[in-house]
Amino acid sequence: MKRAATRRAKRPAAPRQPGREKGEMARRLAALLRLSVELGAAPDVTAICRSVVMGLHEGLGYDFLGLFLVDDASGDRVLMASVGWPDAPPDFRLPPGRGLSELPLQNGALHYTARVAGLVRYVPTPNHGSEVDVPVVVDGRTIGVLVVESSLADAFDQDDFEILTAAANQAALALARVRLLDAERRRADEHEALLATMADLSAELELSKLLQATLQRAVTLLGVTGGELAIFDEDRQELEVVASHSIGRDSTGTRLKLGEGAMGRVAQTHEPLLIPEYAEWLGRSGQYADLTVHSVMVAPLLVGSRLVGAIAAVHADPARKFGPADLRLLNMFAPQAAVAIARARLLETERRRADEQRALLATMADLSGELELSKLLQAILERATSLLGVSGGELAILDEASQELVVVASLNIGTDSTGTRMRLGEGAMGRVAQTHQPLIIPSYGEWDGRSPQYSGAISFAVMAAPLLIGTRLVGAMATVHADPTRHFGPDDLRRLNIFAPQAAVAIENARLYTAAQRQKQYFEDLVLNNPVAIVVLDREHRIVSCNPAFETLFGYPQREAMGRDLDDLISTESTRAEAVGYTQHVLEQGPVHGMGRRRRRDGSLVDVEILGVPVVVDGELVGLMGLYHDITELLKARQDAEAANRAKSQFLAHMSHELRTPLNAIIGYSEMVEEEVADIGHQELAPDLQKIRSAGRHLLALINDILDLSKIEAGKLELYVEAFDVRQVVDEVTSTVRPLVEKNANRLELRCAGDLGTMRSDLVKVRQALLNLLSNASKFTDHGTITLTADRERNGDGHEWMVFTVADSGIGMTPEQMAKLFQAFAQADASTARRFGGTGLGLAITRRFCQMMGGDVMVASEPGKGSTFTVRLPAALEE
Amino acid sequence: MAKILLVEDNEMNRDMLSRRLQRKGFEVAMATDGREGVAMAQAAPYDLILMDMSLPEIDGWEATRQLRAAPATQRVPIIALTAHAMAGDRDKALEAGCDDYDTKPIELERLLGKIQTLLDRNHQA
Repeated sequence: MKRAATRRAKRPAAPRQPGREKGEMARRLAALLRLSVELGAAPDVTAICRSVVMGLHEGLGYDFLGLFLVDDASGDRVLMASVGWPDAPPDFRLPPGRGLSELPLQNGALHYTARVAGLVRYVPTPNHGSEVDVPVVVDGRTIGVLVVESSLADAFDQDDFEILTAAANQAALALARVRLLDAERRRADEHEALLATMADLSAELELSKLLQATLQRAVTLLGVTGGELAIFDEDRQELEVVASHSIGRDSTGTRLKLGEGAMGRVAQTHEPLLIPEYAEWLGRSGQYADLTVHSVMVAPLLVGSRLVGAIAAVHADPARKFGPADLRLLNMFAPQAAVAIARARLLETERRRADEQRALLATMADLSGELELSKLLQAILERATSLLGVSGGELAILDEASQELVVVASLNIGTDSTGTRMRLGEGAMGRVAQTHQPLIIPSYGEWDGRSPQYSGAISFAVMAAPLLIGTRLVGAMATVHADPTRHFGPDDLRRLNIFAPQAAVAIENARLYTAAQRQKQYFEDLVLNNPVAIVVLDREHRIVSCNPAFETLFGYPQREAMGRDLDDLISTESTRAEAVGYTQHVLEQGPVHGMGRRRRRDGSLVDVEILGVPVVVDGELVGLMGLYHDITELLKARQDAEAANRAKSQFLAHMSHELRTPLNAIIGYSEMVEEEVADIGHQELAPDLQKIRSAGRHLLALINDILDLSKIEAGKLELYVEAFDVRQVVDEVTSTVRPLVEKNANRLELRCAGDLGTMRSDLVKVRQALLNLLSNASKFTDHGTITLTADRERNGDGHEWMVFTVADSGIGMTPEQMAKLFQAFAQADASTARRFGGTGLGLAITRRFCQMMGGDVMVASEPGKGSTFTVRLPAALEE
Repeated sequence: MAKILLVEDNEMNRDMLSRRLQRKGFEVAMATDGREGVAMAQAAPYDLILMDMSLPEIDGWEATRQLRAAPATQRVPIIALTAHAMAGDRDKALEAGCDDYDTKPIELERLLGKIQTLLDRNHQA
């Protein structure tokens, strides 16, 4: 700046010559007034600074002027506007410690330097002129310096000081005003930014504080003694005073109807209002009768055309009256305040929502920590009551079996309702459980749907909601206000609607968890109390856990077994490979079932049945479970049983052999004597001898059948498989049986396929099976027909079967008789044997033979109409 | 008249069968064990031998093998008499060299049929 001064010669400071005229004085005042007007219209800091230097230059003839403002952050003086320095660099600044212009900052006083030559502070080059540095003071703080220079020494006098001080003060006022407005704008911008980013919802931005601050600023800006701020409650169409400042008492909370009082009036008209003397104003509100206010100025707070509130400014000093300038200032302020309030309310709403979300998150957090149903239910209820700001509530869950609600948690409703059961439709919760819709009951005592079970409860307003997962009912929740002045509104409903589904899910999760826990406990008990030894291994064959039965069976306490390789622990040298094989098989291929011998801790051996199954969790193989059943006793019992059976078979074989030898003699001699008596003419003895022989033969057949059967049952009867011609067997059998068939005057019919071919099977057993069936048919048929058919059949899988049927037209059987038909010693009834003969073992043996040969025999029969036996045998039996 | 050697250790069976065969016109010689049976068959010619299989000293199967091994008795028809119709016994008998077999107790008509068949075959040969 000094540099500029040296470069540019200043004009002589003519107006400041001694002995100036009165006209000169008037000219100066007029210039100041003009400056004042200009400053009043200047919209911002730059314009104000510019107006100051230009006004002083053009109106008062100063040649070199500069206005510096202090940058709060750095302390630098920044040149805002200048005259006489056309090539001033942008953002020219002087740091602390440099320049004469710093001097007023140090003591807040005008500083005059008559000769600047040689002064160190003089920046930056020597000058031989003079300089005045005038502080610009706002609220006692020097915010800038007005610098006026001359290239002449001693160029300024007292008049200059006065006029420059007046100009600096005007600049200070203008700057203060603009700064306030700037700050307002900035705050509005900040709100906007906050809203846009939602950066930090926990920041201290409570609506009430903001409102208070807003009013404070308005009071300061307008230079009034006090004021009030009200916001518009759209629901109730009323104004509510939310901030009050020095109006004689705290009017916060006062509610004004539209049209009531000054603020009510502007809220209605949407027009600002000036009231010179409130006490004389006809529209005054009775609520302010006690206050001493005089001049009142009110403006509506509008966002667009929407009313958000009203602001009032008052003068307590009767001498002060509001004028158009005040109103203009208020009008400037009001829209910004309106926007700020609207946004803050929005912010408040958003933050409340965020709080609710946080509360819900906390509920969800509870969930992960608290899965015990009863505690969770209590926690949910507590959270709900605090979230909704109610005095109490209760929570019920649906008992699906009985379709009733059961109260599971109860909080401050005057009685502990836990355990109360309600039908769907009964009371508030029953109602919402039925309708699936939330419900607000303004006064429960007057509500028709109230349940008699709640006569003892103290509740006035009730709000209930169903707990639904999708459309499935889980339970219901009710919240109550015990205070009769409290009511539920749409906001409460909204919050409840956010909360209820979360609670429903939480309850459902806890129920599932509880069920899972119970199931887990059940299975754990099952394992714990199981008499079978159960051991769980990881994939490296190490023991992860074992049950008491395992400890008992093998003698290893769990703590000793844990982590050990199972097969190291309980297999012997000779069974180790087999044991490891089982383990590997389970892990690689799947379940295994076997038997083996294992070693106890004390070295003794134990026979066990082994069952190994893979343990798969979430599709991943984690190890295996081994079950060991001590079968020592079982094996011994089986061995004993097998030995006993062998002894029985041996006894039977031996006995039948021993019986047969004398029997052969009986039969043989009786036959022989029969022949002899004929020869010697004693024919009359023949019938008796025949009876002896017949009885002997029957006994022999019986013994032979018993022997066969016992051999079959002992597994001692073996198959002798050979190839034979089927037709030949059929012919053989028919010729053998023919005498028997004809004995009862029956006719034997043979129906065979043209080429029966050969069969690979046990010839003797095939023959005996057919003979048994044919002789049976003969016995039970009289004057009838017995038909033997034989055929070859190929079934679906390409195997060939031989099918023989023996049909008779005999006495037939009832279903009951058929059921016992193939059992040993089970002729249709006991008398049958006497009537028809036979051992009663033939069909049992036949069936066993057929089954041994891979086939079976079946029967169809009807009493009085005859029976048909069908034998199906594989044509070629695999050996 | 055909000469039959009956090798049978059970006295009653031996007595009964021999008498019944004699009554049908056969000349019947008897041996009571396998060794005696082989010796008798080699000492004199028989038209047919009825051989019980479970015999003392040497059993019927072994006796049959010995008879088949000796030139003199190589071609004598032998019918095995077995206690019970077991597939194994029957095959073992045929394997040892028997021409046919029958099961005890004897059904005389059936046995006579088998004897006649073998005698006829040998005569034709």
